[in-house]
Formats: sequence, structure tokens, C-alpha cells
Amino acid sequence: MATRRRMLLKVIILGDSGVGKTSLMNQYVNNRFSNQYKATIGADFLTKEVQIDDRLFTLQIWDTAGQERFQSLGVAFYRGADCCVLVYDVNVSKSFEKLNNWREEFLIQASPSDPENFPFVVLGNKIDVDGGNSRTVSEKKAKAWCASKGNIPYFETSAKEGFNVEAAFECIARNAVKNEPEEDMYLPDTIDVGGAGRQQRSSGCEC
Amino acid sequence: MAEAAADSSNSAVDGGGSNVQNDYPTIDPTSFDVVLCGTGLPESVLAAACAAVGKTVLHVDPSPFYGSLYSSIPLSSLTSFLSPEASPPTSSAAAAASDSRTVVDLHRRSVYSDVETSGTVPEPARRFTVDMVGPRVLYCADEAVDLLLRSGGSHHVEFKSVEGGSLLYWEGCLYPVPDSRQAIFKDTTLKLKEKNILFRFFKLVQAHIAAASASSDETGQGDASTKIPEEDLDLPFVEFLKKQGLPPKMRAVVLYAIAMVDYDQDGADPCDKLTTTREGIQTIALYSSSIGRFANAEGAFIYPMYGHAELPQAFCRCAAVKGALYVLRMPVVALLMDEEKKHFLGARLASGQDILCQQLIIDASYKIPTLDVPFDGSDSWKVVRGVCIISKSVKQGSSNVLVIFPPKSLEEQQVAAVRLLQLSSNLAVCPPGMFISYLSTPCTDVSAGKQSIKKAIDTLFSPQASDGSEGHFETTNESTEDVKPTLIWSCLYVQEITQGTSGSLLSCPMPDEYLDYRNVLGSTKKLFASIYPDEEFLPKKSAPVYADDASDSAE
Repeated sequence: MATRRRMLLKVIILGDSGVGKTSLMNQYVNNRFSNQYKATIGADFLTKEVQIDDRLFTLQIWDTAGQERFQSLGVAFYRGADCCVLVYDVNVSKSFEKLNNWREEFLIQASPSDPENFPFVVLGNKIDVDGGNSRTVSEKKAKAWCASKGNIPYFETSAKEGFNVEAAFECIARNAVKNEPEEDMYLPDTIDVGGAGRQQRSSGCEC
Repeated sequence: MAEAAADSSNSAVDGGGSNVQNDYPTIDPTSFDVVLCGTGLPESVLAAACAAVGKTVLHVDPSPFYGSLYSSIPLSSLTSFLSPEASPPTSSAAAAASDSRTVVDLHRRSVYSDVETSGTVPEPARRFTVDMVGPRVLYCADEAVDLLLRSGGSHHVEFKSVEGGSLLYWEGCLYPVPDSRQAIFKDTTLKLKEKNILFRFFKLVQAHIAAASASSDETGQGDASTKIPEEDLDLPFVEFLKKQGLPPKMRAVVLYAIAMVDYDQDGADPCDKLTTTREGIQTIALYSSSIGRFANAEGAFIYPMYGHAELPQAFCRCAAVKGALYVLRMPVVALLMDEEKKHFLGARLASGQDILCQQLIIDASYKIPTLDVPFDGSDSWKVVRGVCIISKSVKQGSSNVLVIFPPKSLEEQQVAAVRLLQLSSNLAVCPPGMFISYLSTPCTDVSAGKQSIKKAIDTLFSPQASDGSEGHFETTNESTEDVKPTLIWSCLYVQEITQGTSGSLLSCPMPDEYLDYRNVLGSTKKLFASIYPDEEFLPKKSAPVYADDASDSAE
């Protein structure tokens, strides 16, 4: 029932192709990083147990499965998100400029009940590249944008080095918990088709 | 560009959910094993199946949303979806005939016709989501559910029960359908004698199903004595029911409300195709194995929350996870063929880019550009569909309900059953306090089909008071239980149905007249087998593997 919902937190990660969405997930959940880039294949979502103020939650982190490349994420992808993570590459200005589009896209598609207060977290990734010399978006500029959108928490990360990833996701989890679920009057009695253990029960009484 | 105009008219349907692009992106790579155009359920299942066996897949759709003919769209966009502006003539063929290829223009056909709406669109219109495939449900035990489980698509869809069960309209009244022995036992409308007959019948069928599945399972020697004899299985089902002593109302229950037969089985016309006992029992077997398959499901049927378009999206997501490339807002304007016009080589996108592929698959809203024989439509038939917004449930205390009007129950001229599916706000398809009802009946004669649907609407709902008072002011203290739901808004339309065709170019099946997806998915499976005869269709292992825990099934 409501407890099920509160234990499971859905987080979606948005941002342009190649900014490191999958790498961030992988670093956080599996402590792994691969230099080989391929547009995301094979990851649907990753899960990680997190403890927040003595309560256990399951963070379910959803990847875009490459459908962001041509802005082709369906409305179903956005449903029920508790927190939306916006990622850009600090070395690619365009990926920063697109954050606004991704944020708007999310608000339109997911249509959260309280869009003003829906939790976003922004990550500026790849700060390790070239010792920071190829950086084109300053921290100040990024923070200014975050402030203008209702004080979105901002983290600078390196998925490759694992820098700040843990801290960023802790913030993501905390914000997801804070997100009050919408009137989920309909959530309690959804049918769990995945957990179908008992097939072929007799359909009637034997009389 | 002409197509860009068509594209922006589609974005009206989407309601601006996506940023309108002025220019089409360039796709890289330019060659794939499979290119699919249209994101209806069959195309999406095929995309997932192809990607699961390692094929490279490009999946495009001209619209800014998923679903094609299997879409779920905001009520405010329904009429523009049903009557799209005529696509502007394209001249890409003349424009660029390259050396070794022939370019054949691709045209859409009009799938919907005879659109008739009445009433005021209720507000907020965007909060009503209308299925283009309605009325439709899934059986808990049917192939669609199995495919979702096998592909991993079940992670992306949530279901709810049609918990109000089914009602049969018979001699002017609605009766609960006794669809299991338990339901018969509890029924308060049946006479004792009727209960006995039905009990005996269900027992017989259950024993047959058990024996048949036992014999197919292992030794090949089930208890043959409990099986229905072969000669009876070949009988028309209606004859078999008569043989079992079922009176007319009980026959109607079994034929139309459980076996979900469409056409009149008592009709005088012997050339009508009659459902055999074998077919009837197959559906009853599915029905009864659906009851109780899932712990908290009530009844045999489930419905995907947010509407049926969640299903194609779930399969597209599975395909994407396996590497399929997705491009919405990308029309295909022409197909590429070899010089002799024998084989399809690829597709020309609205961007002008040519994509080469081994196999082309298009949704049924496109005309197949066959070369010598123009499409003559002889293979097509029709279904009348209705969408109604009503003010309260047809069955007090129930949210989601199925109603069956057997042939001739509404009027003598009614040749086929009319089915109505009422859905409530607990499925997130309409605001609280409102209900959406879908109706359909297959037909050869459009006006007769529409007449049946209208009769059904008039039978269950009362028209909105003409003074605009919405008929809500009941001045008397009569029990409101007897007051029919008020019809706030309705839309009737006719949809053409064609089956999928295989060959060098695959055309996928349209949403059919049935209540479930068995037929559509059966054809889809065949299409897959026709292109990859040696590959398994969505093998079990195709679901992605997740990190070690199974949190998604946590209670």
C-alpha cells in the first residue's frame, strides 16, 4: 500500500546524449566506470538500497535507454518519478543550455501535481576532463541557473573518478523522499503481474 | 517542407509535450537490419523481438507520441486524430530517382470515417485519455501478459482489475455474468434450476480442460473419459450448449459474455461462420485460468493504467534497452526499391535521408505500395467504436465494468454483440467523478452498426438535460440508484480493419474488433516468424538483468 510506494523511489536521469548519465548511475550503484562510450544499451534501471534517517529505501534509477538522443522518450517513462536528475557536461556548453528544455519536457510530460516544488537535482559532470582546462561552463553560471529555477541543488561530479557521486545521490534520495506522492488513491490495488507465483488456481468451489 | 506542416498538426495531439523541431535530425548509422515505421502495438512488439535477437533496429514515428493506431490521446485531440488533414501530395519520387533504386511514395489511408460527436466536451479535456483501441482489456492469463513478462515490459506498465465484472443485458435488464462456479453459487438472480444446469456445464468444461492439458503435458493419456468427444468439439458451440440443456439466457451468457463471440449464433443464416465448441472452450479455458492468476486481481480482466498506449511504449522501451534507435516526429515519405521493383531496400525519411535495411515494417495506416495490384480493400472489414463520458457508474459501487449486449438484445436487427467497457478515475484515464465508456460492434453495414451502438447508449444512459442543467437536480427523494448515468459527451466512429501482410514489406495488423489482443499478437508473431523463421519470438532470457535485488516486486 502506501508503504510500498514510500519504500520505492523512482529517480529518472535526463540530459543530452554523452553527458555521462549511465556512467553516473554505474559509478553510484556498481562503483564501476568504463571509458568506452556507447549510447546506452542494456540498462533499464538500476537499484540501490539507501538508508535515510534510519529508514530503508530502494532507489530505482532509470536510464533513458538512448531514447533521449532524438527526444523520443515516451510519456510512460516519466510517470511516477519522485526526483528528476538533470545532467550536463561542464565541457559542452550546449548540454548546459539544453537543461532548460529537459526540465520543461519533464514538467510537461510527468505533469507533477506541484510543479513549482518538484525536486530536481542538477549535476555538472566530467569535471576531471583535461584537468578542468577544457571546461566551458563555469560553476557560477550553473549555480545561477539552478538558483533561478527555485534553488535546485547543484553538484559537480566526475563519474570517472567517482568524485562527489555518492554525495549527489544522497541528496537525490533525500529529495525524492521529501517529494510527497500525489493522491495515489489508485496505487494500492494495482496488480503485480511480475510477481505472479500462483498460476492456475481453481476458479470455483468444488461442490 | 510539406511534411513539417503535417508534423506540427500532429503536435496538437501531443499538446506541446515536446519541443517542436524545425529541422529533422540526421540519423547515424544509415543502415539497419530492420526499419519500422509506426509505434503501434504490433510494430513495437516486433521492434522488441528483433532487438532481443540482436538485430539492429531503427524505429520511427511521424507523431510526437507513441502508439500510432494504438494510441491513447487526450480527449481534446480526439476529433483531429480521427480526421487528420489530408497529407499534402509528395513528389519525392520524381525529385530523386537515383541510379540503382526506385523511389516509391508512401501514402496514408483513411482508417476512420463517419465521425459523429455530441454533447459538450467536459473540462478539463486533457485529463481524459481516450484509447483508440477501446473497448479492450487483457486476460490475466493471455499472451499479451506473457510477452510483457518475457520482455521485461511488465516493469513499465501497471494494471488494475475490471473489478466490477461483467454484466449481461437480457430482456431489458442487466444481470451479473456468472462466470465461474463460485459466481454461480453467489448469484442472486438465477433460478435454482438455471444454477444447476450452469454448474453441470462448468464442471464438464473444467474436467475437459484439465484432461486436455494433462494429456498434452506429459504421457499423452489423460483421463479420456472426462474429455468432450471430438465430434462434439467440431459442433457449433451453440448446438453443444443446446445439447447440454442450457436455456436461451444461459446460452447467451456462455456464448457472448464468456466465450466473447461476436456474431449471432442463433441466426437463420447458415452461411454465417459459427463458433465451434473447440473455439468456445478455448476461450473459456483462458477465461478461467485468468481468474485467480494474480493474487489481488478480481475477475479475469485487467486494464493498463493511463490507457492502452502504455503497452506499445513498454515494448519500445524494451527494444531501446536492447539497442533499438528511436526517432519520433520523423515521417517516412517514400520507400526505396531495387531497379526491378521487386525488393524493398529501405526508406526515405522526411529529412530526405535514405536509410537502407533488410526488412521494412510499416503500420497499417500506410497504403502498401504494391506495384501491379492496387490495394482493393476486399480484405477489410469494419468496426464501429463509441466513446462516452458519463457522470456515474452503470453499476453502483463498481468502478470498472464490462457490459455485453448479445445480438438481437437491443433490437431485432442487431446482428452482432455490442460490448461496453466502463473505466473510472482509478485507472488515471479521467478525473474523479467521471467515467469513460467504450463501445464497439463489428459490422458490414455501417449504419446498422452505428444504430446498435446508439441503442446501447440510449439503453444505459440518459441524455443531458437540454437546459444545460446537467440533469443533476433530482427534486424527489427517490433512490438515486435507479437514475441512469447522464451522458455528457459522446463520439461514434467507424474504423476500417485490415490484417497484417507479410512479404518484402510487412504491414502490421490494425486494432481489431475483439476485446483482447490475442488475434493482433497472433498475427504479429506470424510476421516475426516470416522474417526470422529460425529465431525465437521474445525468448524468456530477453528481459534485461538487473542488479541483484528484486526491489520492483517488493510489496
